[in-house]
Order: sequence, then structure tokens, then C-alpha cells
Amino acid sequence: MRASNVPVTDSRYTVAKMLSKASRVVLDTLLPSGANPRLPLGIFDAGFEAFWADLERTALPAWRWGFQAAVFTAVWVAPLLIRRLPPLTRLDRPTRERALAALGASRAAVLRQMLTLLKTIAGFCYGANPRVREAIGYPRQRNPPRPEAAP
Amino acid sequence: MIFDGEQERRAVDETFDYVIVGSGAAGATAARVLADTGAYIAVVEEGPAVSTAEFRDQIFPAFRRMFRAMGTQVALGRAAMPVIQGSCLGGSTVINSAIAYRIPEDVWQTWQTEFGLGAALPLEALHEHWDQIERELSARPTAPEMWGDNNRRLQVGGQRLGVDTAPLRRFEAGCRGSARCMTGCPFGAKQSMLVSYLPYASERGATLFTSARVDRVTWAGGRASGVQGHFHQPQFKKNIAPFSLHARKGVLIAASAIQTPGLLAKSGIRSAHLGRHFQGHPGVGLVGVFDEAVNMWAGATQGYESSQRRVDGHFKIETLALPPENLLASLPGVGGEWLKSAAEMGHMALWAVALRAYGQGSVREGLFGTEIRFDLSEQDMGNLRRGLRLTAELMFAAGAREIIPAIHGLPARLTSPDQARLLENGPADPACYTFALTHLFGTARMSPQPAGGVVGTDFAVHGRTGLYVVDSSIFPTNLGVNPQLAIMGIAMHAAKQIARVAG
Repeated sequence: MRASNVPVTDSRYTVAKMLSKASRVVLDTLLPSGANPRLPLGIFDAGFEAFWADLERTALPAWRWGFQAAVFTAVWVAPLLIRRLPPLTRLDRPTRERALAALGASRAAVLRQMLTLLKTIAGFCYGANPRVREAIGYPRQRNPPRPEAAP
Repeated sequence: MIFDGEQERRAVDETFDYVIVGSGAAGATAARVLADTGAYIAVVEEGPAVSTAEFRDQIFPAFRRMFRAMGTQVALGRAAMPVIQGSCLGGSTVINSAIAYRIPEDVWQTWQTEFGLGAALPLEALHEHWDQIERELSARPTAPEMWGDNNRRLQVGGQRLGVDTAPLRRFEAGCRGSARCMTGCPFGAKQSMLVSYLPYASERGATLFTSARVDRVTWAGGRASGVQGHFHQPQFKKNIAPFSLHARKGVLIAASAIQTPGLLAKSGIRSAHLGRHFQGHPGVGLVGVFDEAVNMWAGATQGYESSQRRVDGHFKIETLALPPENLLASLPGVGGEWLKSAAEMGHMALWAVALRAYGQGSVREGLFGTEIRFDLSEQDMGNLRRGLRLTAELMFAAGAREIIPAIHGLPARLTSPDQARLLENGPADPACYTFALTHLFGTARMSPQPAGGVVGTDFAVHGRTGLYVVDSSIFPTNLGVNPQLAIMGIAMHAAKQIARVAG
């Protein structure tokens, strides 16, 4: 059997694309570095680039397409919700945060879902980081040394 | 024996007595029963075999390897609802909380009086099966030392408000309260099918084909003669090699209420009821923030509940420990605000309202795969809002400082018990809520008459011989309680009946 933590890769998706600048700005706005004394790590300190490279290679296209659609919405639609001209990347951090918050508060469910999707993917990486887990009190767990239990 | 389709490079053509499609609660139970008869059995699972030793406490690797469509399966309707299903050897029993509930008597009465299934599913026989399953899989109430604070606080809230609460009964043998049910129990304590009935059947000669997608049932002279499909890379549905498995005595479909109707349709089954009457238990969670640490990750994933309003309110309330990754995504804010919420995760409790929804939907095969549609009725939304209010009141009674509802149109945080009523008066639009849809039923429902359903009271598809459906797609209604034990009891009943008829 193949280990669940060893990703299965598909030859169609083995070229891990670099994160675009827009994606970086959006993610950094969502989870910035040094913004909270208990959780000083930002998304990129938490290893998002490695996480994304892994996701690119091993996850269903739906995850990647969803992420790209959500980044596009954040960059080009979110600023309009606070009456600012896009793209988001040209705005300062407080304005970017307001724009993304407006996305999450939009009357259009599909726009709110775009922010949820961004937070879900960012959360997959950030919430799994050992230092983040330690900061929130998640108990350090080890798997018991045991033989193969499957039949 | 496990036959790992991901490692297979050649076509396989073998003959068995029975071919069972699906290795979850229904398929594994059928395999367990038929293995006892000495029959030669194949269990065919679309997902991979993931062993206990491989389970890790991170959700994305689990999504990638053990969840259907890597967690992207969604029911579309007024609200888009993630549909949570396991897709690995053992099915959803590997990633659920192993909660043991019998079919409530009021539900069974409806099945008897409105759907004419009293004789096909006699309650006395079902109770005998449930007794056996509970004994074999060690069903027991969650022990107090496994409650942890997330579960314990629901008990406290219930005591203070006079609301009935109780520890959930679960299939477990030596739970250590690691709150890791969703990513697979690393101790093998949860008695999922992976560590119970599948090994039992395997030791008695059953062959477990994994990463093996069944494309259709084959026919010979009007009788189901086996299945054809492909070994594949489950994550990407990339075919590796074809297989044909022949069945001398019968083909049992236990692929779930989502996959079963599509497989039947692709196999030539036609019925106005196929893929319709799709029902489930949509759930919405509330996060309570406490001054003291709660640490929901110490204790049973789901250890406590309130089912007081199950009958009149069509909802029950359950505790739920989500991995930090998932909990994080449900918290409000962006940037510093989001991190501020995240920093409090150790002080949060999460309880969910699970609805016995009146709403129905459909499942069918479309251009881009399986299309699931589901909508809630107005009555459902009323029940949901009442359930959320009660949940909030319980949380405040248990000492919550504030509640994070994550409902569009409501304040991001409710800060006093008075504000709990905002939930009952909250938006009626399902799109304002964040749902998850679990416990799936009804898409090939049982009926004595072909005009009323897809499957007859002998579990055979109407008008066909040798093709049986034994999973929750035959249920005529949802249950209002966690369905694993109900599914297993009915699958056990079905398998015994099928073995008796087939000889």
C-alpha cells in the first residue's frame, strides 16, 4: 500500500507552477506575518510554497481551478466592493484587508464563497503547521508504533 | 487478501459467488455475513486501501487520499453544500465518528405505514442484527474520561437549561480521545470496517479489490452475472487496467446513495425513482468562545449530543471537534482580525445542528460526473434556526463568552444570551449559512411495487434477477439520527436473506 502522506502524483500535473504575484499578495493579506503576538507566523512562514507545490502535483484540478478563480475574484472584484479601482495588488495593506473583508460580506453568495475557498486552502496549510498548532494548544500527537492494521 | 488496483498493470478476469460493490458500512457488513456461509466473495472498492499505520493528523492529506473527490464533492441548490463521503477501503466508516444509533421507532413506523416495508424490514429481526453488530463492534457510550471539554460543556449547558443531553454511543475499543476520527483513528480503536468486518471477511477468503472502479453490471440471460470496471488511480480517475468479476450467485450494490443510482443507470436499470428522493442530514455548526481553555482536540471527536428535539424539531445537536485547519476556515475576519480569532482556537467549542431535512434532491450522472442537487424547504430553515438558537443558548449556559455564528446577515460575534434569538430570526436563505451534508439516503428506494421504487422487498432491483441493493439508497426516508448502525443492520438482514434465497 502507498503511504497516505506520500502524495500520489499524476504525470499530467507534475509541473508545479510558481505562485503568481497576485496569489502571494492575496495570501499575505489573509495571513500576514507578525500581525498577532500569539501567532506571529504569516502564511509564507508556515510553508505555503511547499504546500502549494505539493497541491499542484497531487490534488484534483478542482482545487487549483477553485483557488485561481478565488484569487482572480479577490484581485479584480474585491476592490470594487469598497469603491476602489482594481487590482488589489496596487492597494495598501489596510485597504486590501477591507476589500477582502467586503468580499466575505458581499450580498452575492458566490463572492462570499470565493473568500471561504481562499481561507480553506490557506487554512489547510496554516492550521497544519506545527508552530501554529503549538501556539493554539493543539496537543502534540505521535502515531503509535504499530504494525499494519489493515486486513 | 487485498488486491491493490493501483499496483495492477494487467487485466483481471475472475469468478466469485458474490460480488459486492462498495466496502463501507453496508458492503462490509454484507461481506461479513456472506463470508460466514463459506461463499467466495469479492468486495470491490473504488478508493484506495489506506492502513491505520498511515493515518496522520492533518486534514489535507486525508482529503487527498480518503475523501471522495478530495473533499470537493458538492450538492448544488440554493446553497452549495459540501457532501462528505469517504472513498477508501472501509468507506465513510474510516472518517466518521462511528456513532451507533438504531432506527428510531417513529421512523420505522413511517416506513411501515407509508411505504409498506414492515414485512420486508421487521423490527424484531433488525433489533437482533443491531444487537449482534453492537456486540461485535463494541458499541458503548462515550466514557467520561474521553469527553474532554468540548463534550463536557454540552452536558453542563444541558444541565443548566434543563435540556436532555447524553453521551453518544460509538463503536470503539480503547478510544484514547485523540479527536482524530475524521482523519482515521491512528490507534485502530474506532471500529471502522477497515479494522473489523473487512478483515473478518478477508480471513474467511474474501478478496478485497481496491482502487477498482465498477463501470457497470453485466448481464447474462436477464440475470446479473458480474461487474466490469477499471483499476485506476482514484485521485485522478486515471484508468490503469480493466477487470471483469463474475458472480455465480449475485451482485450486491453497496456504493452509497450517491454512487449507486449512477451505477444502476449505467447498467441499464430504468425507473422514475432512480436518483430521485435524495435525502440527507445537513448540518450547520456554531463556535463558542470560552474564557477557559477548551481544547477540543483532547477528547472524543463527537462524544455528546442532545436529541431532545429530534422528533418535534427535526434536529439534534452534536459536539464536533474539527482539525485546526477546518476550524480556522470557519472563523471570521481577514488579516490581523482572522489571526486574532485563530489565536483563540484553543478556547473554542464547536457544536453542530444536524437537521432531519424534509427537503429532497436528486443524483444523476452528468457531463462532468455525478451531479447532486439538494434544497431545503422553508420548514427545514425554520427548524434549523430554532436548532441554532437552542445551541447558542446551551453554549452561553455552558459559559461561552461569545459565539461565532458564521451566518451572513448576523453579527460576526454574539456576545450575550439575549442575542441567541437573533439566530431564530436569522436569514431564511440557505445561502447565508455554511452547511455540510452528511448521511445520504433514498436514491434507489425500496418499495413493494415497481411503481413506487427501484428495489423490491427482497432487495433485488425490480424486474431483475441477481442484482441487489443493500445500502442506504434503499431507505425511503432519512432517519434524523446517525445512520451507520441502521445501514449495517439492514445490510445484514439483506445479506442473510440473499444467502437464503441463493442457497
